[in-house]
Amino acid sequence: MLKFIAKRLGISLAILVLGSLLLYVLVINSGDPLEDLRESNDPNRENRIRQRIENMGLNQPWYERYWDWLTGASKCLVGQCDLGTAVNGQSVNALVATAAASTLRLVVIASLAAIVIGVALGIITAIRQYSGFDYGVTLMAFMFFSLPVFWLGVLLKHYAAIEFNNWIVDAEFSWAVILGIAAVLAIVLQAAMGGDLKRRGITAGAMFGGVVAILFYFDMVTWFRHPALGIPVYILSVIGVAVLVIVMTSGFHNHRVRNAVAATAVVAIIGYVATRGFLMQGGSILLLLLLLVVAIGVAVAAGQLLGGFSRRQATFASIITSVLASLLAMADLLLSNWSQYLSEQPRPIPTIGSATPNYESTFWMMTIDALTHLVLPTVALMLISVASYTRYTRASMLDVLNQDYIRTARSKGISERKVITRHALRNSLIPLATIVAFDFAGLIGGAVITETVFGWQGMGNLFRTGLAAVDPAPVMAFYLVTGTAAVIMNMLADIAYAILDPRIAR
Amino acid sequence: MTNTNDPAELDEVHEADYEIESMPDETSTTDKSYSQGQLVLRRFFRHRGAMVSLTILVFITLLAFTSIGFGPIPGWWGKNHIDLYPIVEVAGAPTLTLWPFSLGEHPFGQTTIGKDYFALVMLGTQNSLAIAFTVGLAATLIGTFIGATAGYFRGLSEAFLMRVTDLFIIIPTLVLAAVLGRMAGNVGGIFALAGMLALVSWTGLARLVRGEVLSLREREFVAAARAVGTSPWRIIVRHILPNALGTIIVNATLLISSAILVETALSYLGFGVRPPNTSLGLLISENQNALSTRPWLFWWPGVFIVGIALVVNFIGDGLRDAFDPRQQMD
Amino acid sequence: MTTTPRFTGEQPVLKFDSLDVQFRTEFGSVHAVKGITLSVAPGEVMALVGESGSGKSVTATTALGLLPKSATIDGETFVTDKSIGTLGGRQLRAMRGNRVAMVFQEPMTALNPVITIGEQLTESMEVHGVAFGAEAWDRAVELLDAVGIPGAERRAKQFPHELSGGMRQRVVIAMALTCDPDVIIADEPTTALDVTVQADILDLLRSLKDKLNTGILLITHNMGVVADMADNVAVMFKGTIVERGPVEQVLLQPQHAYTKKLLAAVPRLGKGHGQFGVAPHPVEEGAQTALDVRDLVVEYHRAGKKPFRAVDGVSFDVHRGEIVGLVGESGSGKSTIGRALLGLIPSESGEVRVLDQDLLGIRGAQLKSLRRRIGVIFQDPAASLNPRFPIGDVIAEPLSVHKEGSAKEREARVHELLDAVHLPRTVYNRYPHELSGGQRQRVSIARALALSPDLLIADEPTSALDVSVQASVLAMFTELQREFGFACLFISHDLAVIDSLAHRVVVMQFGKIVEKGTREEVLLDPREEYTRRLLAAAPVPNPIEQRQRREARHELLRGFGDEVVEFDTRELDQGGWSKRSQD
Repeated sequence: MLKFIAKRLGISLAILVLGSLLLYVLVINSGDPLEDLRESNDPNRENRIRQRIENMGLNQPWYERYWDWLTGASKCLVGQCDLGTAVNGQSVNALVATAAASTLRLVVIASLAAIVIGVALGIITAIRQYSGFDYGVTLMAFMFFSLPVFWLGVLLKHYAAIEFNNWIVDAEFSWAVILGIAAVLAIVLQAAMGGDLKRRGITAGAMFGGVVAILFYFDMVTWFRHPALGIPVYILSVIGVAVLVIVMTSGFHNHRVRNAVAATAVVAIIGYVATRGFLMQGGSILLLLLLLVVAIGVAVAAGQLLGGFSRRQATFASIITSVLASLLAMADLLLSNWSQYLSEQPRPIPTIGSATPNYESTFWMMTIDALTHLVLPTVALMLISVASYTRYTRASMLDVLNQDYIRTARSKGISERKVITRHALRNSLIPLATIVAFDFAGLIGGAVITETVFGWQGMGNLFRTGLAAVDPAPVMAFYLVTGTAAVIMNMLADIAYAILDPRIAR
Repeated sequence: MTNTNDPAELDEVHEADYEIESMPDETSTTDKSYSQGQLVLRRFFRHRGAMVSLTILVFITLLAFTSIGFGPIPGWWGKNHIDLYPIVEVAGAPTLTLWPFSLGEHPFGQTTIGKDYFALVMLGTQNSLAIAFTVGLAATLIGTFIGATAGYFRGLSEAFLMRVTDLFIIIPTLVLAAVLGRMAGNVGGIFALAGMLALVSWTGLARLVRGEVLSLREREFVAAARAVGTSPWRIIVRHILPNALGTIIVNATLLISSAILVETALSYLGFGVRPPNTSLGLLISENQNALSTRPWLFWWPGVFIVGIALVVNFIGDGLRDAFDPRQQMD
Repeated sequence: MTTTPRFTGEQPVLKFDSLDVQFRTEFGSVHAVKGITLSVAPGEVMALVGESGSGKSVTATTALGLLPKSATIDGETFVTDKSIGTLGGRQLRAMRGNRVAMVFQEPMTALNPVITIGEQLTESMEVHGVAFGAEAWDRAVELLDAVGIPGAERRAKQFPHELSGGMRQRVVIAMALTCDPDVIIADEPTTALDVTVQADILDLLRSLKDKLNTGILLITHNMGVVADMADNVAVMFKGTIVERGPVEQVLLQPQHAYTKKLLAAVPRLGKGHGQFGVAPHPVEEGAQTALDVRDLVVEYHRAGKKPFRAVDGVSFDVHRGEIVGLVGESGSGKSTIGRALLGLIPSESGEVRVLDQDLLGIRGAQLKSLRRRIGVIFQDPAASLNPRFPIGDVIAEPLSVHKEGSAKEREARVHELLDAVHLPRTVYNRYPHELSGGQRQRVSIARALALSPDLLIADEPTSALDVSVQASVLAMFTELQREFGFACLFISHDLAVIDSLAHRVVVMQFGKIVEKGTREEVLLDPREEYTRRLLAAAPVPNPIEQRQRREARHELLRGFGDEVVEFDTRELDQGGWSKRSQD
């Protein structure tokens, strides 16, 4: 397996170098880099043209210019990148440093969200094939397939951001809105859960009642201006997560898995209650990552110690539980800071940029700021990917559900839920691993558009302005960052592939 | 145990092997037999969503090409996309009314300087359709050729296909398309752009065709053809490609819908169709800040892009169901 | 080990009462099962015999409640005392795998490729609360051991792709046994297996019902398997049971016309030529050599691995007018030889002369003109006809490739060929999907004969066909061979089929020739150990004879120092395994 991945990685790196040559040659031949100067009426025109030829090395042959770039770029391997200068004399290194983080954050989050949501929807539509839910999701998928990202982005800016910002000022629901939301959610949930008419009715009724009650409560306390989970809700949520994980993995009769998950959940609750006060003071990414590692460590320990014979499954279930509990804790901390953020930024959802300029505040404020900037671009970018993941997962799942071994599993008397989660899911994910790599490339392309719509100073912007000015340095910097990210993503997909399919390991 | 105890009757049933069994559907009454292609067409024509979509697509195409005319041929719409007209409604709002139906002076409204927006949108639609169908056709031909040679002969052409595929994982299609589109902008003309887009769009189809050919070449009817000494090209053209037609046609339609989105996106970014010509993407790009003041300038081109892409996707879905009845949706 | 019916007076463990199943399809409804009644007693093996489309598998699947939603079921199915139709989802699942278990046909696809064998075994134990955790794992290993899988401890941790087909089928059987069910439904349990493996699996199943007193419903199309295993037989035809009774009675004194026809169609080892009416002509003295293969070597090259030698130094010849049977189990290289002779895969070394021309040495036009003298028939009639061609074009394709005659002449030739294979001329404009399996195979034979070849290579031409269709195709084939006098290399895994038409026989194993000689020499008086094993393993459709053959085979195996496969309950009994175990 290592050999397999090493080989794929080697090919990818070779392609990365070859691709850089191709892109470089194409970019410098894509137009006239002096066009704007030639058309200008500047009396100093000749001088400026000469200066630009000098700066960009236009008098050198293309292969020398490429070689210069390549040697500069290859120093990245030893941590001393030299990506050249842009046409206006700015160092590309400096530009990339600020741009890369925001773009990669956008693409990775959109990618992960699309995979999770798309796979989940795909599985449900496959199980409920030809149901109203299936048709609904299929129709939505077709809509998303056919939506231009830039058009969707503009619409989101206008409706989601501006309208939301107007609403959050007093955050009040009218009864019509409450009933409408509740009705929609009730219809969707009953369609997704399925069952006979009676069961659907109960599902829809419970959902409707629950949502109305919650929204009414939220409205009364203007929760959306002062939200918080608080310790009690956190505890309840973690218990809910633990129950869900147990049901989804082994079921309650496997004591070992049950005990391991329960232990993890208890540790998570105690840990969060103990550290919440301290964390509210402030934090850092490093600290949070450290806590996550600790949480996973606890989960592994619980799985290994209590898992006994089902050690692997117990460890897996515990890790899932602890990661979800950590995310819940993170959500609680963010929500608790929301009202403070609102008082500082009364119109919370921005339409321009990847962060509020010159905004200095606590760690949590800054995190909320980054997240609110991310929301709309992520949604715009994600929707298209969600559609393709949904369709692929559905097709793959339907294919797997027709296999003989699924019939074998059913003939053993296994419940439909376990047939899906244990027998069908993993097999249906195998072909998806290859799609992730292509989809990631598509998302990077989409990010170029999204960043333009939302006015981000990210990698996409670097590419667009660079290409418009026939300036290879920023374009190649964009390529280096996104190409490397794609290679890494591809490698992760290969590893996932090898893990999912034991026939690959050799 | 029912009445089948009569030995004579049983024998008769069994001797049926010596006779042509009737078709298992209603066509057996007529003595007509259906080829695979005819069966596919029948299923396609029965696919309601696809037929509605096809009608809409034909309507949009006719509307776009007849209204303002194409090239030297004049159309029935009296106005063009260049002249400035006096502003009719407040801020140049659309004059289209649905009930009673009337187009009015400027059905899609006017731009801030008074251009007829209907003519502009029709021109953009023309360009987008022309580019999309050219890309679809050209990329399908390239992809089918490379996919079929890669799948049948393996070797060099397969290695080429695989490496190009690897390349597109690293350089996103849109990025390469933007660079090539920037280049095509210097050459000028929408067909230069379409050619460049075709150059970056064929890989997906080629991969699928290769996969299909790889499995078809192992089928026994291909082995039978090879065994009698049929030449490789005859096998590819007569035996393999007709059986891969489903994959090719379905993916050609998907290529068309994605070409529309890529072209409009490039035009939006400024690397596609350039002024004074126009495209639906360019119109959106020019008017994206007008959403609150002159929403029609933003909505009309968007609706046309989404509409065209959507109906092409639905046609593709109908074709998929027609070629692969196992996944039928109705 | 008894073949007399054992009606123990107990309640039947499985009972179908006026079962009736219809399916809704795109083209209207299909009446698959038309009101059948059948029961299986504890310790009884009830064989349900029929050809494809008879409804036998549908019948079996109703016992697990696993039919698709498009099925309408009337009548009742009882497992022990529970009526399957009345059970809800949870109760139904409690039956499946626990009271009634299924052994499927295709071991290569019946196991989940991403879950270890041990886990797939423990799963049903945990679901039905038989055992958990380490205890379940130990039982899984014991079961694997009991069904004769060597190194069970290690095998349990492996994935299905690491096991051979026969081993996988044993895993599937072990899986059916995990909860000690009252009844096992075995749906064509040996059809996908080689004949020697089949004999082992049948031994295993037989010892199983003797030791566990489990009822077995055996679904099969193979009369030899019926004779070997069954206590009672029910013959199914187009959704109804046409005849039933103890195995000796049904197989030796069939009453119903269909049963008689079915039994008459089974090729029998030892009956020789002329079983189906016509016998091939004896080969003329000093007939010219049509095919001469010398030291043929064929290798499959695999990326990063040592090439796999599929055919290793094989030499044999076929004379004009002669049929040579090439026999072997899967992986013996017999089909590879056929494909190499057709030029579909390259040969590594050796010499092949067709009608005194060097097949491997020539290229281009010469090769093409030699190719037209070799015809071919493949195994799968569904796959060997281009689905986009009408039948007329299919048969005329070789003619047009070799630019034979005008379009009109070709059409006349196709009509002649259709007559020769007993197909009406009206099929000329039909498409392959409109024809039945047997009709399609006739079309492939017509296509193979289109260029009047001197040599015909037939690669398992009848093994995808039902036995009655096989008989008529074999009869027609022999007739055509008499008429046209072509030389034929007939590749098959079925010794009885070879026996019915071959003049000489070549037996292969692991890419090498084990034994060759005249039909009488090889099939009636085999010299080599492998040939004897092969012959001994082939079941015959006569229960009395088969019982003797079986004992003779066990004798033979012991003589070779092998063990006879049986269900080994020793370890299981120590664990207090079987609640109904007899000994």
